[in-house]
Amino acid sequence: MSDALRAPRIGPRLLRAIAAVFTLSLVAYILIPVLVTLAMSFSGAAQLRFPIRSWSLGWYAEFAASPQWTGALINSLIIATGTAVMSSVAGVAAAYAYTRYTLRFSTLLYVLLMLPLFMPGIVLGLGVALTFSRFSIGGYSLLGSHLLVMIAHSLWAMPLVFLLMEAVFRMIDRRVIEAAQDLGCPPLRTFFEIEVPMISTGLISSLLFAFVISLNEFVMVLFLTDRDTQTLPVLMWLGLRSAATPQIAVASVVISLSVFACLSLIMVWYVRQLRKITR
Amino acid sequence: MPQTALDLDHICRNYGPVVAVDDVSLTVAKGEFVTLLGPSGAGKTSTLRLIGGFESIDSGAIGLNGGRVDHLPPYLRDTATIFQSGALFPHKTVAENVAFGLRMRRIAKADIAVRVAEALAVVRLQGLEDRYPDQLSGGQKQRVALARSMAVRPAILLFDEPLSALDLSLRLQLRSEIKRLHDEIGFSAIYVTHDQGEAMAMSDRVAVMRSGKIEQTDCPETVFNAAANEFIHTFVGETCCLTFRIEGGRGVDPATGTLDLHLAQPLPDGAYRLYLRPSQPSLGQAAQAMPNRVIARLGFVAFLGEKYRHHLMAGPCEIVGDQPGALTAESGADALIGWDSSAMRIFQ
Amino acid sequence: MTGPKRSRLAPWLLLTPAQILAVVFFGVPALYMARMSVNAHAPQSYFTPGFTFENYARLTHDPVIAGAIWNTIWLALIGSAVTIVLAYGFALIVWLKPARWRLWFIGLALLPLLISEIAIIFGWWMVFPRNGLLSVALMSSGLITDKISLTYTEGAALVGQVYITLPYCFFILLSVFDGLDRRVLEAALDLSAPPLTTLYEVLLPQTRAGLLAAFAQAFIWTMGTYATPMALGPDTLWTLGFLIQAQMLGKHHWPMAAALSMVLVVGVALVVLLTRWLQLQQRSFHV
Repeated sequence: MSDALRAPRIGPRLLRAIAAVFTLSLVAYILIPVLVTLAMSFSGAAQLRFPIRSWSLGWYAEFAASPQWTGALINSLIIATGTAVMSSVAGVAAAYAYTRYTLRFSTLLYVLLMLPLFMPGIVLGLGVALTFSRFSIGGYSLLGSHLLVMIAHSLWAMPLVFLLMEAVFRMIDRRVIEAAQDLGCPPLRTFFEIEVPMISTGLISSLLFAFVISLNEFVMVLFLTDRDTQTLPVLMWLGLRSAATPQIAVASVVISLSVFACLSLIMVWYVRQLRKITR
Repeated sequence: MPQTALDLDHICRNYGPVVAVDDVSLTVAKGEFVTLLGPSGAGKTSTLRLIGGFESIDSGAIGLNGGRVDHLPPYLRDTATIFQSGALFPHKTVAENVAFGLRMRRIAKADIAVRVAEALAVVRLQGLEDRYPDQLSGGQKQRVALARSMAVRPAILLFDEPLSALDLSLRLQLRSEIKRLHDEIGFSAIYVTHDQGEAMAMSDRVAVMRSGKIEQTDCPETVFNAAANEFIHTFVGETCCLTFRIEGGRGVDPATGTLDLHLAQPLPDGAYRLYLRPSQPSLGQAAQAMPNRVIARLGFVAFLGEKYRHHLMAGPCEIVGDQPGALTAESGADALIGWDSSAMRIFQ
Repeated sequence: MTGPKRSRLAPWLLLTPAQILAVVFFGVPALYMARMSVNAHAPQSYFTPGFTFENYARLTHDPVIAGAIWNTIWLALIGSAVTIVLAYGFALIVWLKPARWRLWFIGLALLPLLISEIAIIFGWWMVFPRNGLLSVALMSSGLITDKISLTYTEGAALVGQVYITLPYCFFILLSVFDGLDRRVLEAALDLSAPPLTTLYEVLLPQTRAGLLAAFAQAFIWTMGTYATPMALGPDTLWTLGFLIQAQMLGKHHWPMAAALSMVLVVGVALVVLLTRWLQLQQRSFHV
């Protein structure tokens, strides 16, 4: 005789229904602010109010015509590009050294390089602002410069690049590198002809991730930029604190589109690599 | 023209306290195929990597075609390694992979094309020039690796267990193919393996390694039939062991006390181990005629296709004997094992 | 291979840019901030060099600051707890759903991660007011008769904060689930364990370390925030982050801002160490 089995109190059908409701709510939760912003950016009204009665591209035109907004966008792009280059160079070189050589104090080094990633942006921003506020290079004040913001953003972006590239370098079969040298290829040429193509996807991803992080960041920039160098998120924040108009929604869409453009670039690159291999 | 392709002169390499390669000396003549055979951790691959220049030697000298190369980085040494993983360049096509070494040697474009085609023809991969490594099977990858290394016509080819990642039938097929290529082209090679069958089948000479040292270098037949020591004898080929004692000049099986031994020279008293290969013992009636005999209990019989394998227990020792027909005795019954004096090896 | 001297130097040369970043632009500012936190402050200047623990004493004496510390911890605790529950459920569902759904869900979860925090805040900011989406939607559906405003409530701050931490926790937990054998679940159900018992006795124990890591991640992230509670929460919901930027940008009281940052750093360090300790504890208990 087998033991009698009791039917569970919560039947599978009820469970499935709960899961479906939960999933739908979560999807709605994630999509609401995105869709609201997108809709509002096409509003023809002067204020942020629902329901939206007139639709227009007016706020986009205004964005394009305003030197303040376009200037902020350009600042954002300059800083993000600088951050991407700076953190990728530092992170890739460090990851290469970390994976290819046996180093003394390697654990300590790892902790040192990773530590900034754990720090809240406000702490990093404050620290850099306090320390370098009175520095100037040849009459060029460091505080408020693009350079200092790039450096501050690299504090977050570099450890991420390092993490990513460390994994990438570890995945490479060392024998392939040795095979190249064995066949007569000097080390530097091996790096550029054999290794770079093998890590290209990782490299592109590093650059673009760093770019996206910098583009979106807005706590450090609040401390480190001035009127001339303020980025799009700063301008949005200031707008939100004073007179909010659908203009901010347009800025939100613009900045998000830049991010998605980066993401699509990674995707396109990745698919191209895949196709090249598996055709 | 020097007659030696490779000359290892007392080379050593330590990794901290571990002695990976311990005073290894070996010469490979032009066109010779030498195998480094040994269990894992014996220092075979380490030796190969020292020759290729991926690691540097602590002491000794490495000569290639008569010139010293141990101070040179890998890209200046005229060696070519076939790695276990193949180590093909994943972003290059088959043809580009094979052409790579030739480009590094600054050979004219037209000549490269000819030699790539030639190398791919030799390993029977025509038509796959434009494939990427990901689109190849394991066996094809190793053929490309082989073509890539042979195309540069190095002073010596270094094989680092190139077949051990492949399945059995493919391994046998490629083994004979490498053998055929060696016979046709006559390249010099060092082949690292832990598979003694591979070593026997392909080599002109076999060097057996253990704990960083070469213990014997001889032609395959000598290594198999006249191993220099007990380790080599047990490592090369199947063998079973019978432990016994000599007391008062007579052989005594400790378990049954019924060991008949006819020794060419008497052995001093003490404990010994006697080794027989599965093909050597005669079983049952046929054993009566043999000079050396022991009574054992029949365990079980396994059918192996062309022969029956008998597992017998002589006291605590398991003896394996192959015969074309199965013994009729039942499991558990006593059976006589007999053998020729020339068949056995005894070690103290 | 090219001489022992160069090969010993090469890795450190390669590491130099990263080390300069970490030492000069993180290590030095951290030390400078620690030093700054014990400077005195005079109304006219940013700080006056000195050595005083006055700023730290204010942490407990000043009710505004003490309140902000409690607010920060409270918000981080509640926010992380809500995030964890949602992320766990979401990750579990994604893990159990057929693979063809997976990419869509992952793309969805990436969305909050890819959108700037400020854009997220702004999005929610348009949902809660009297003329916002929520109020209008409820009105038109007939659920309420008068417009309502939920902006500047603690609930609104929580909604915004959870939105930001959700993807991090989701991806941590999804990777934990992916490490599990789904057949364990089938085995439990096959042995007639009811779904809730299975969750409690089979899934939770196996994912405890991941839960801990996800919770710590959400907690640290929320602790350092200030924009979301400031923009969406009530005026009384002052957090440490808010005070830091107020002291720095508003009152130009650098030593106080530095002291508050030090508190935040210590808080993060404590959470990291506590998580690590709990994980080690568990491992020695389980294995």
